[in-house]
Amino acid sequence: MRRRIVVALTLGVVLLVASAPAASAHGERAQEAFLKMRTVGWVNVEFTGGEVRQGESGADEIFIGQGEEITITGITTLLSTWPGTLGGGNPNTGFISVIAPGPVVTIEEKTVNGVSAPHRISIEKGGIYEFDMTIAGRTPGRWHVHPSFSVKGAGTLLGPGRWINVEPVDGYTNPLTLASGEVINLENYQLSFVWIYSLLTFFIGMGWMFYWTLRKRTVQNLAVTSQIPLNTDGMSVGLILKEDHRNMNWFLIVTLALTVGMFIYQAVAWPDKLPQQVIEFAPPAFEQAGAVPVAIGIQAAYDANTTTVTMEAEVTNTGNRDLVLAEFTTSTLTFANSEVEPATLEEAELVVAPGGTVGAGETVTLRLTLADPRWEGDKLIPTTESQLEIVGLLVFDDGTFAEVHAPLKLEF
Amino acid sequence: MASTTGSTTKDAELRELLHRNYKYIDWKWNAVFWITAAFVVGAAGDITKLLFAGDWDFWTDWKDRQWWPIITPFAIIIIGSALQYIQWLAWRFPTGMVYTAVCMWVFATFGRWVQWGAFLDYPLNFVWPMTMVSAAVVADWTLLKTKSFVLTSILGGMAFTIVWWMSNYVMIAPYLQPALWMDRVLTVADVQGIEYVRSQTPEYLRIVEHGSLRTFLGETTYVALAFGGVLSIAGYWIGQFIARALAIWPIGRFMKKW
Repeated sequence: MRRRIVVALTLGVVLLVASAPAASAHGERAQEAFLKMRTVGWVNVEFTGGEVRQGESGADEIFIGQGEEITITGITTLLSTWPGTLGGGNPNTGFISVIAPGPVVTIEEKTVNGVSAPHRISIEKGGIYEFDMTIAGRTPGRWHVHPSFSVKGAGTLLGPGRWINVEPVDGYTNPLTLASGEVINLENYQLSFVWIYSLLTFFIGMGWMFYWTLRKRTVQNLAVTSQIPLNTDGMSVGLILKEDHRNMNWFLIVTLALTVGMFIYQAVAWPDKLPQQVIEFAPPAFEQAGAVPVAIGIQAAYDANTTTVTMEAEVTNTGNRDLVLAEFTTSTLTFANSEVEPATLEEAELVVAPGGTVGAGETVTLRLTLADPRWEGDKLIPTTESQLEIVGLLVFDDGTFAEVHAPLKLEF
Repeated sequence: MASTTGSTTKDAELRELLHRNYKYIDWKWNAVFWITAAFVVGAAGDITKLLFAGDWDFWTDWKDRQWWPIITPFAIIIIGSALQYIQWLAWRFPTGMVYTAVCMWVFATFGRWVQWGAFLDYPLNFVWPMTMVSAAVVADWTLLKTKSFVLTSILGGMAFTIVWWMSNYVMIAPYLQPALWMDRVLTVADVQGIEYVRSQTPEYLRIVEHGSLRTFLGETTYVALAFGGVLSIAGYWIGQFIARALAIWPIGRFMKKW
């Protein structure tokens, strides 16, 4: 009987573990479609650097070594369709960074609108933020990395991501130069000091515990302690002796000597210290170079069988040169017009009729065909939500972009 | 005279009872108790600390001069106080706070090493846990000397906060050195916080240097310590309530009085 139980339990555990698929995601699929599409737009997100070659997905992926840097550049904007239900409808604090499965990459440099921006920035609806981030590989493995825009009151919103493969490098370090000129390795700076000191305090604590638990009985004491007042130490009956008081005094002296001694040590060893810094500022305004086109969404439709969104939009070219539609972007998806530039690294194809050109001063109705299984996979179709819209950015060949949002027509 | 003789007789009885050998209760009972209770105490202490002090005990760039010394001593004194009451009441052991401290040290260290270091690959010099052992020794010593929970809460609670901060400031000190990075002067801890990606903890969630009544004569830390000490006294009595009302009193309802 016992053998059957053991076999059954073993089988159960094995089946449980063996049937568990690997889980990897950033959690953005848990976000609602409106949160991903109506809040933040991404333009010209580029991952530059590293070696590009075929990866595990069968498509081109980026390969870098530990410590090797790549840059992520692009423009992000808070859309005018920002929901009134998020952040009071008035987003004011944001943080541009990357989303990755933990510290698999390190952020080495970050500018927003040309200014170094390590911490949070003041933002506003309609604001445009050109970012330039340098990241370096850290943990060997294959990781999906996205630029992200965290907005207070709304959460973290992802831009288009790329697979980055980090390959191990012997002797990887993460150097940092202190103001004193000393170069340290951020991976393990003063780690042994922290552990040794912490361990010393632990040994003192264990010494205290062993003193009481090994020299005296525990459970058996209850028969005595239950018969004496709470505010006595039971010295008259031998529960606690004068010797115990003396020994505990020594423990206290050693503890205080260690604490005070090490406190003095840190003041001498590291005399120059600062409190943790808070950096928050409003980056300089970014203006689009060139005449900004205007786009009005007419209608959008979604075909679940082919995972294709079709959208009609009326585009007005307010400038004096012809514009060609180069991309449509929304949330994590980018659709590229191959007549302008071929789709690269995880971008999908943008088909635009009757051709992507909008003449100077003209207003043209464009029909966009956006086919990508990730409409379903990334849960970007708001079929179960209260706002049926497709929102995104039309990006043109001169770098200008225009917001477009069209009501989504569903077929039942 | 009679009362003295009576108390002497009583003391002799209790002394004899203290050294009585029990047939079925030996050192193995004590060992099993202390070892198994360590898991419960360590878990309870760590969870309480995580719920209240959370990020302040985690990241070097969160161990600031204001909220770290206010929130963390309050969070960690609660379970220690509960254990102090139970262990003093039951065995006259001034060990409740230290026992909690060493159990939490083991749990927190193991957790950081396995979960945050091995599994997530965060550098351990970024996520090392605080130690409350030194402060716990002071609190338990105070109980031993005063034999009073009221005095322990006031004197011990204040001393607990100050000693806790001093003993942990030793470890944060090297990470407060200035570095020139991203065209700015930042601390080593700040650089760690920026470089090592924490996707779901965007920078604006970091509660550092928040608040209005922050300084007196420009000294944020001493104001924080004073406030933290007072908060620790409150935390101490929360722990006492947990022990008295939620642990000892229910047991007393079902156990026969001696």
